[in-house]
Amino acid sequence: MAETVINKNNNNRAFRILLLLSLLVPLFFLADLLVGSYYISIPEILKAIFRSENADAQIVLIINQFRIPKAFTAILAGAALSVAGLQMQTVFRNPLAGPYILGVSSGASLGVALLVLGTGGLLGGGIVSAVSSWGIVAAAWIGSGLVLLVIVMISARIKDIMTILILGILISSAISSVVNILQYFSNESTLKSFVVWTMGSLGSVTNIQLSVLFPSVLIGIMIAFFSSKFLDAFLLGENYARSMGMNVRFARLMVFLSTCILAGSITAFCGPIGFIGIAVPHIARMLLQTAKHRLLVPGTILIGALMMLVSDIISQLPGSESTLPVNSVTALLGIPIVIWIIIRNKNSGMI
Amino acid sequence: MIGEEKIIALNNATIGYKAKTHSVNVVKAGISVYALKGELVALIGGNGVGKSTLLRTIAGFQPSMGGDVLIRGKQVNAYREKELALIMSFVSTEIIRVPNLSVFDLVSLGRYPHTNWFGKLLDEDRDIVEEAIKSVGLKGYENRMVNYISDGERQKAMIARTLAQNTDVIVLDEPTAFLDLSNKYEIVHILHELASEKGKTILFSTHDLTTAIAESDRMWVMLNESVEQGSPEDLILNGDFASLFHSEHLFFDQEKGDFRIKKLTKRKAIVAGKGIAVDWTVKALERNGFEIIDSESAGDVIVIIDVAYPEWTVMHQEQTAKFDSLLSVCRYLNRM
Repeated sequence: MAETVINKNNNNRAFRILLLLSLLVPLFFLADLLVGSYYISIPEILKAIFRSENADAQIVLIINQFRIPKAFTAILAGAALSVAGLQMQTVFRNPLAGPYILGVSSGASLGVALLVLGTGGLLGGGIVSAVSSWGIVAAAWIGSGLVLLVIVMISARIKDIMTILILGILISSAISSVVNILQYFSNESTLKSFVVWTMGSLGSVTNIQLSVLFPSVLIGIMIAFFSSKFLDAFLLGENYARSMGMNVRFARLMVFLSTCILAGSITAFCGPIGFIGIAVPHIARMLLQTAKHRLLVPGTILIGALMMLVSDIISQLPGSESTLPVNSVTALLGIPIVIWIIIRNKNSGMI
Repeated sequence: MIGEEKIIALNNATIGYKAKTHSVNVVKAGISVYALKGELVALIGGNGVGKSTLLRTIAGFQPSMGGDVLIRGKQVNAYREKELALIMSFVSTEIIRVPNLSVFDLVSLGRYPHTNWFGKLLDEDRDIVEEAIKSVGLKGYENRMVNYISDGERQKAMIARTLAQNTDVIVLDEPTAFLDLSNKYEIVHILHELASEKGKTILFSTHDLTTAIAESDRMWVMLNESVEQGSPEDLILNGDFASLFHSEHLFFDQEKGDFRIKKLTKRKAIVAGKGIAVDWTVKALERNGFEIIDSESAGDVIVIIDVAYPEWTVMHQEQTAKFDSLLSVCRYLNRM
């Protein structure tokens, strides 16, 4: 039938955009390897990656130990935060939901703070080994899970999107205050290791930590992808989803598990990174012109990765020797998009 | 009819909410009504009488607080979600606003209980979705976004979604609430056709008596004390409608099948003339508090109106005035 053909064309358009995005990601990955305080040319980079035995040992070290882990972390962080944001926006039916804005990220920092400051001796001067990395990640998951639980309870009672948003910001501030108080009461050496963590950035993630971060993000994204059908049904709200045969409790558990793993893991290693999780799902919906999650999940993964790579490149201030904190860059990129969402939705009556 | 299967049956059911401590907040008790195959059932009742609670209980969103709520002979809460979704679909009052969701994708969500874990649509599913869209008159709207179609079209798309779900029972909570008059008639008419032609049992709540009386096979009337059922005509004849909204300002007109506002009639008038203009003149006078009488009696007639459309002659206490519209007639009478 003609309509089916049009519908398939729509899907084809989405597939073409996804293909284009997946070509852009390696391109920007390479571009991200180029920037840094020490200039390395493209041929040198390629040589260091593919024929390291012939390359300058120092360049190989910079590429393998610093730039590749950082760029790879950027991809993971962008993808994870964006998919977490997409799931939150769908399940809460709130276009302004996101892991940072609703306090899920700060919940993760509280988890990490309690672990680091509470067991300062155990962790020693820094967060280095894989075992302690898993501990950090688990603490972040639990912290973000608890905040998510509070938001679920609030949104069961309050339907107004803006009210939930304000409450989320309040929760976020309250948790930050608790973290500050914890810092105040902790001794100098544990405080130091925590402060190092709070200043965390994409570049501070070591290869050992990546061996924890990568499987965590992979699992989170897999759960999200397998929840595509649930997420589609959640678009109409829980009652409709149930009336169409969805096991709401199981579906919600899966989605929240994925959100906690994704937002918690990234916050655990990179510190709080804002506005990627809220902005990227909207860009994906706009580009792909669809509400179907089996297209939106891959779309947000790719756009999130791209946006984070771009943020990282900007934060290196190409041509200069200093770097900016990456979460300032994501805020400056993301906030205009959030403002645009608010104005557009205000006009069409969706908020 | 005896022996026919009751698709939906409530036996002495109690609806309500669980309050905080073990007590129960009862909205209504002792409800015994049913619906048969192929019936369009209208649920009517005043605001706050518990229509939505009843529908939500039947749809299985909240447990009944006592008695039986049976769907095809089995307690609704004994079904698993997926089982129930193959028998019953639901449309709520809420306006669905989802950005970038096309009509086709919205309707295809109805295939949820029929597709695999990934929600992949097979050709057969696509055909069913197309057919559902066609049967509510939305052909050509497949790729329109649901945020950019009218409320009436969106409601039709929601109904098409229940058709794609392909269930024997469809429950709709005020499907015509936000719609204009023509859309109201159209939606209820579509529901009627689905019930009679496809043999579905369709239960919907409404405040719109006229369309419900015109199209529904059975009515459930939620009164303050009880819930009555019957064909609309039976309910009019036995006076159940009259007790539906007992208010000093309203009365139920058994002839016209609708509620009217009670007017205090202070003045009397005689209307003379022929044609449809006379009927509308009578309506205008009634609205302005006149009682229409046939002939002068006891000398209390105040106004005589002669209708010769498009001209009205008003005679009153030896004075005669001519008007070219009912609006000016009414203004003149009110100034008297």
